[in-house]
Amino acid sequence: MDIWNYLEYAAWILSVVFGLYILIDWFKVDSTYSEELLTSSREGELEAMTEKHKL
Amino acid sequence: MAKASQAAAPAVEKISLLRVLGPAHVWALGVGIVLVGEYMGWNFGVGKGGAYAALIACWFAGLLYTCVAMIDSEVTSTVAAAGGQFTQAKHIVGPLMAFNVGLYLVFAYTMLEAGNAITIGFLVDTVANMAGHSGIDQRPFIILSIMFLAWLNYRGVLATLNFNLVITAIAFIAVILLFFGVAPWSADSPLKHADLMAGDAALPYGWIGVVAAMHFGLWYYLGIEGTTQAAEEVRSPARALPFGTMAGIITLLIAATLTWYVCAGLMPWEYLGQAGVPLFDAGRLSGSTTLMVLLGIGTLFSTLASANGCINDASRAWFGMGRDHYLPAWFGAVHPKFRTPYRSIIFLVPVALVFALGAPLDQVITFSILSGLLEYTFMPINVILFRKKWPLDTIKRGYVHPFHPLPALVLLALCAVTYFAVFLGYGTQLIAMVGFYIVVSLWFHFWRYRFVKRGDQFTMPWPRPRGY
Amino acid sequence: MAKYVPPKQSKLGQIFDVIVLLVLIIGALRLPLLLGMAGGSKVSAPVADPTWETLKQSPAMVEKWNALGITDPASVNEMITARYDYWAFSTLELLVMIVVVIGYFVLVVRFSNVEYKEVIAEKFGDRK
Repeated sequence: MDIWNYLEYAAWILSVVFGLYILIDWFKVDSTYSEELLTSSREGELEAMTEKHKL
Repeated sequence: MAKASQAAAPAVEKISLLRVLGPAHVWALGVGIVLVGEYMGWNFGVGKGGAYAALIACWFAGLLYTCVAMIDSEVTSTVAAAGGQFTQAKHIVGPLMAFNVGLYLVFAYTMLEAGNAITIGFLVDTVANMAGHSGIDQRPFIILSIMFLAWLNYRGVLATLNFNLVITAIAFIAVILLFFGVAPWSADSPLKHADLMAGDAALPYGWIGVVAAMHFGLWYYLGIEGTTQAAEEVRSPARALPFGTMAGIITLLIAATLTWYVCAGLMPWEYLGQAGVPLFDAGRLSGSTTLMVLLGIGTLFSTLASANGCINDASRAWFGMGRDHYLPAWFGAVHPKFRTPYRSIIFLVPVALVFALGAPLDQVITFSILSGLLEYTFMPINVILFRKKWPLDTIKRGYVHPFHPLPALVLLALCAVTYFAVFLGYGTQLIAMVGFYIVVSLWFHFWRYRFVKRGDQFTMPWPRPRGY
Repeated sequence: MAKYVPPKQSKLGQIFDVIVLLVLIIGALRLPLLLGMAGGSKVSAPVADPTWETLKQSPAMVEKWNALGITDPASVNEMITARYDYWAFSTLELLVMIVVVIGYFVLVVRFSNVEYKEVIAEKFGDRK
């Protein structure tokens, strides 16, 4: 065992930590909020307010 | 017009992406994705035609991308929405084209992300070998880089691109310092261009090698057009996007030329043409430990910045398609706290992993280049139709590109040359890839499109297109 | 023109479509790899008695190879002699490629136009 072996293990562990964070948060969000709210973003809404396309 | 402003009135509570980015972030996103092309991949062009061929390809590809940037800036400064070219195609060419463009984007970026992760694994392996530890397992490092960046992207766009701004700047400065470090003007500079490119080594394949090198010539710049993906999160898209994109192209032209110059003067073309981390090798050959460490860090940072930007862009494109029901609506979700397209980010992680862990680098890169190339072929069609359906006097554009239609035609011609270049040596891969796009196009037109609302896809407050 | 109301896709249908797409993506990208269709067609022709001279490396080049940590010419025999054979393709293959690429774009632009007309008609109303 030298430092590179420890680095390998550290990389595995960190990968799992980041992966778990994302997964847990994902399930929390999906079960807390309604699907309508989560998918309520629409293309071009802000666009219509901030940019004027009239000459 | 009336319809769009009605939709904007917040009748119910809604969440959307956040408008927090400035022009520097646009630069960081564009250059961040691409700069890795200087640290790895471009040199396969040396393998396809020799060092001079790679330089000529670098400049012709620069011309191609200048056309891309000009055309793209004009359209984007008018169509500002997440999904970038996907949204452009939807408004200008039509839904099926948009679906294809969305897939080009997702593939080009996801494959590039996989290529970056492979390079990180390779770099760790190289450094471990130099430290006397052979046979390190590259997989945990490949997985960690993808997981970490996915996590960063998941947590919010501002931190993601601030991170990119810092590491991209460091990687760019490393290239400049390398150039000054090898002191090309001094008598005892390690650069030996004349000797390394004498005789057969000048153009080992003759002129056809120059054409063939165009294939990887794109790699110097591939992804710069990704700046438009940030459109919905930039505070002032009509100004920041063209500015950030043009500044990005200039940065890349400088970095690409310097990289070629230093590497071609330090390594025999046979080695350079297959090297995994050429700039790191150049750092090693410069004879300075400081430069070697700096270029090692530069390689690591540029690959991270690139993979980071790729996750950002690919997920925006996937999200944009989900929002329009081109893909299952489920992907069109925004995280209520972090305001990111979180489901799209999650979905693309395993796809990237499948390729990062099981495919050779040059082939992953070729997949990415091919998707990019198809996208650049779409751009001239796009801009010609844009000018035809909405001539200059009908809508206001943030930026109008000069000499239309010359840039579009030049771009089309350069794309044709590049198809031929990919065909030389990678012909079957090209046909398999286009075959895939034909199959999914039929799937979309005859099946998937039934779930898409018709008139609602057109979200820009523009007048009716001419001729329809 | 009557407004088109798309059918609502069930959860199961959504999942099915995602699976179809995944299979297509992974298939299209992995199949060429599995069948050996992807990648460059580079062949090496190692020389029988590899020295730096027979590999046509000048002293300056040898100096760089050494600096890279490669001192044995035999170890890079394959690397140095590997070449693409660009002239090996047949005209037929080239024609197939041209037809496939152009045909693809024609197909996409034409189908798009059909769909686009519908979008414009619904958004802006029928032509007066």
